[in-house]
Amino acid sequence: MYFQLAWRNIWRNPRRTFVIISAVVIGVWSMVFLSAFSHGMLASMLDNGKSVLIGDIQIHNKKYRIDPSIDNSMDNPDKIRAVLDKTLPQGAVLTERIKVSTYVSNARHSTGAVLVGIDPENEKKISFLGKSITKGEYLDKKDMRGILVGKALLEKFDTAIGKKLIIMARDKKGKVASKAFRIRGVFNAEMEATEKQFLFITMTGARKLLNMEKGISEISIVLNSEPMVEKTAAEIKNRLDTELFAVETWKDLLPMLKAYVEIFNGFMYIWYVVVFVAMGFGIVNTSLMAVFERVREFGLLRALGLKPWPVIRSVLTESIFILLIGIIAGNLLGYVSVLLMKDNGLDLAMFGKGSEFFGMSRVIYPILTMFDVMNVNLVIFFLGAVVSLYPAFRASRITPVEAMRQ
Amino acid sequence: MYRYKLILSITAIACVFVLMSGQKISAAKDNSGADISGLGSAIVKQAFDYYRGVASISVAEMTIHRAEWERTMKIKAWTRGVHDSLFKIISPAKDKGNGTLKKGDEMWTFNPKVNRTIKLPPSMMSQAWMGSDFSNNDLAKSDTIVKDYTHSVTDVKEKDGLKIFFIESIPHPDAPVVWGMLHFKVREDGIMLSQGFYDEDKILVKELVTTDIKMMGGKLFPAVWKISKQDEKQEYTTIKYLELEFKDSLPSRIFTRAGLKKKIR
Amino acid sequence: MSTDMKMAFRNIWRSPVRTILTLSAIAFAAIILVFMVSFQLGSYEIMVNSSVKIYTGHIRIQAEGYREKRNMRFVISSPERIAKTVEKIEEIKSYSFRANGFSLVSSENRARGVLVTGIDPEGEAEISTISGLIRKGEYLAPGDRDKVLIGRLLARNLKVGINDELTILGQGKDGSIAAGIVTVKGIFSSGIDDFDRSTVQVPLSYFNDLFYMDGAVHEIVCTADSLFDVNKIKRLLKANLSEKKQKKVVVLDWKELLPGLVQGIQLDLASAAIFYFILVLVVAFSILNTFLMAILERTKEFGVMLALGVKPNRLFKLVLMESSFLTLTGVITGVVVGCAITFWFQTHGIDLAGASEILKEYGMSGIVYPKLSIVSALAGPLLVFVITICAALYPAFKVKKLVPVDAIRSI
Repeated sequence: MYFQLAWRNIWRNPRRTFVIISAVVIGVWSMVFLSAFSHGMLASMLDNGKSVLIGDIQIHNKKYRIDPSIDNSMDNPDKIRAVLDKTLPQGAVLTERIKVSTYVSNARHSTGAVLVGIDPENEKKISFLGKSITKGEYLDKKDMRGILVGKALLEKFDTAIGKKLIIMARDKKGKVASKAFRIRGVFNAEMEATEKQFLFITMTGARKLLNMEKGISEISIVLNSEPMVEKTAAEIKNRLDTELFAVETWKDLLPMLKAYVEIFNGFMYIWYVVVFVAMGFGIVNTSLMAVFERVREFGLLRALGLKPWPVIRSVLTESIFILLIGIIAGNLLGYVSVLLMKDNGLDLAMFGKGSEFFGMSRVIYPILTMFDVMNVNLVIFFLGAVVSLYPAFRASRITPVEAMRQ
Repeated sequence: MYRYKLILSITAIACVFVLMSGQKISAAKDNSGADISGLGSAIVKQAFDYYRGVASISVAEMTIHRAEWERTMKIKAWTRGVHDSLFKIISPAKDKGNGTLKKGDEMWTFNPKVNRTIKLPPSMMSQAWMGSDFSNNDLAKSDTIVKDYTHSVTDVKEKDGLKIFFIESIPHPDAPVVWGMLHFKVREDGIMLSQGFYDEDKILVKELVTTDIKMMGGKLFPAVWKISKQDEKQEYTTIKYLELEFKDSLPSRIFTRAGLKKKIR
Repeated sequence: MSTDMKMAFRNIWRSPVRTILTLSAIAFAAIILVFMVSFQLGSYEIMVNSSVKIYTGHIRIQAEGYREKRNMRFVISSPERIAKTVEKIEEIKSYSFRANGFSLVSSENRARGVLVTGIDPEGEAEISTISGLIRKGEYLAPGDRDKVLIGRLLARNLKVGINDELTILGQGKDGSIAAGIVTVKGIFSSGIDDFDRSTVQVPLSYFNDLFYMDGAVHEIVCTADSLFDVNKIKRLLKANLSEKKQKKVVVLDWKELLPGLVQGIQLDLASAAIFYFILVLVVAFSILNTFLMAILERTKEFGVMLALGVKPNRLFKLVLMESSFLTLTGVITGVVVGCAITFWFQTHGIDLAGASEILKEYGMSGIVYPKLSIVSALAGPLLVFVITICAALYPAFKVKKLVPVDAIRSI
């Protein structure tokens, strides 16, 4: 019965109710939006960190990380492939790479760089490279002579698509091998260092250059869910000879990023509380005023012999109705604003121009997750109910005398 | 991080010396009569073969010139075929005894002060050694230069009663050479007068010019080789031959690590 | 005090609970902003300082063109003369000389081309944290000659340990061959892979002889007490060095030496700005609502006043005065309390427990000291003030539009 009463009560003065609801809406919206924004920021940071040839899990020859030379490649990857076939969960994608340091030159310039032999099909699915070709074309699997270079290197070498680069490297037999490659495409990366550091050719092209039969330098695996990473890595470790191979997750490979993510997550929780407190002042204030406006009414109820508890209950119920309406509207608003930014993102360039240092994109695409939304809503609902207790108590303590004085 | 050219010593001119250790003058006539591009190849081959031979011993003075700086070294060199070469610094006194041994793709350097022989990693071999303007990439061997390029005679002029062939060489699309074009000026007796190095846009990058052609070691030979960069006119390197002697053969022990360490007279 | 002001003041205190809550909301936002901005500035300073102090330094003095060409011959030939100028500048905490030569460094069976740097062990320990990042062996001592420090990754690549020999082969300043045998005294790990893979440090005196430097150096690296001093130092150095007609030297600051770091900070500020803006927005809405409710509550009162001949403009002024007074009080309280809290943390530090282990490993303390400054104390509260005043304008305009009869009749 009192649900109905409360519901009617809140619509008795719609203007007042709308004002209180708007306070809740703006609070819910801001928290939903912030969670999506920060989630998007973290995701872009993680993606950028991982997509530059890291992935979720990597497998190398154990000696490779100490000395990343062609001598420490994995010469018989069939065994590893067999293990991975059995262990990888559904949705996992893997790619193999050959990575060697080379010397690249044209008529006027020369520099050291890392030459990466890739499987164009799989690489595209996993790393930044697939979506970063800004000029020219991506590599075709059969292309033996094509090479992809970063924009910064292209500019430094003063060259263009279709022109030659001479690659010089030590091959599997220890001899110096050199070959001409044609620039097929140019890639952009978040970090200029990446554009200068890496050159991409096809796996077959790399094998030919380096006189390799079937060896590879690394296997990079991307899973479709973060919680699976540790588990899968542990399983691969179980089945591989860990004396020979190193199985590492992105957390091992990017410890600074891991630390940053942890600090950031901690900060987000603090920030939720801060925003909530800011919102809480508004809620308490407005509901308190609503209570005072109704002093006469509450005084009358008390004069009629109503106990304090039913008063608390009815005021609280009203608050909860208002909270619920606000939460629903706030979620909708939050969802809409995230949706609006889905395509173009939020460009931080309007605030600051750089992004290299954190490995974060300039443009943030908010990501709404069920988990975040639930968290936000639960926090707001419970804390909202808690702060509404004060006005409810205050209402229950209004005496008929006090009401008369008004 | 800081990648700039390692300026070690003697190694750079390896190729120049190898090219120069010529012996038999292969008759241009053997190859003439072919079509125009065949003629071009023949002349280039002849010019490279002119300097190429079984073995040589030479002493040369190398000067590296920069706008604000200049340095001269005297170097003694032994070469055998295109694979083996040994260089030792005679002066300045500070650097005397430093040497480099090149055998095929491998290279060692010796320093008497620390009494160590060090094998150079391949990444360093490909750099412009010794801060000169010569580099290994430039001076190809005759077999690869003939194989990697299409040579055509564009002009023939006569000077002092000798024909001079102007040859334009375009690399094959997949050839592992950085240049987009080479220009040669070769005298009919096989002496190369100049070689121009162009980028893929056919813009001159650097140029090698030989002068002071005189009898040395029993045949006509340009005593001064100068290579200069096109962008920076103030930067050039010259090599001036003081002594040159061609041999049918040199003993193998010269081209060993022991030979590299052996003191120079 | 004018009548209006008196009235406004009284009106505010008519409902003390509401006023205190509103004040608290404003003050709270201001406190948070003061603290957060100070915290951010403090953490940037730590970030910059830890980057800068590994190797880069706050300010570097080099020969003109050295940075671009890295030419061995572009030297500062009489560093002591410049050092005299440097010493006169109070803000420079310490400085040290450095010389660099690209060399072939080889162990028994490996060789790598790396940058060999000559450092003055005493001076370097003041400007660089490498001395604290030695993982094996020891740092260089003042009298050391043929001893080196090398990066962890380079040590692995060359397969050397403490007391192993390395041969350095490079070219001296005069173009002659520089060669020497040194023993590894310490292996460091800075956490920056590029640096750990390509750095060899030898005592400057040894470098000087090995590379025939004749007492010349390539860089004078200076550090300051605070980032905020860097601009001043740079200006002073530039003025003093040109005065003395020194051979062309350039003064570079950390922003030029580490452009990525500056950009990173800008980006972090940008995303933080969004966080702050949303907080202020939430507060502004709280306050807008409060003001709006207050006006609703007093509609009858305003109606009576209008009927008594009070001009709508005066009412508007009155309402605005009330809200400005509230806002100003809140903001000022916020600044004062915020500064006090920040100041306390500035002296005590905040331990970022979660990350401190990783940070510690790389020589960062993990304790952040917020940095109170005029900017951090006023920027946030100013934003709160402006936005809140804007929020207050809406209810005030509503008052202006009231029609007396309707107003009196309203509840």
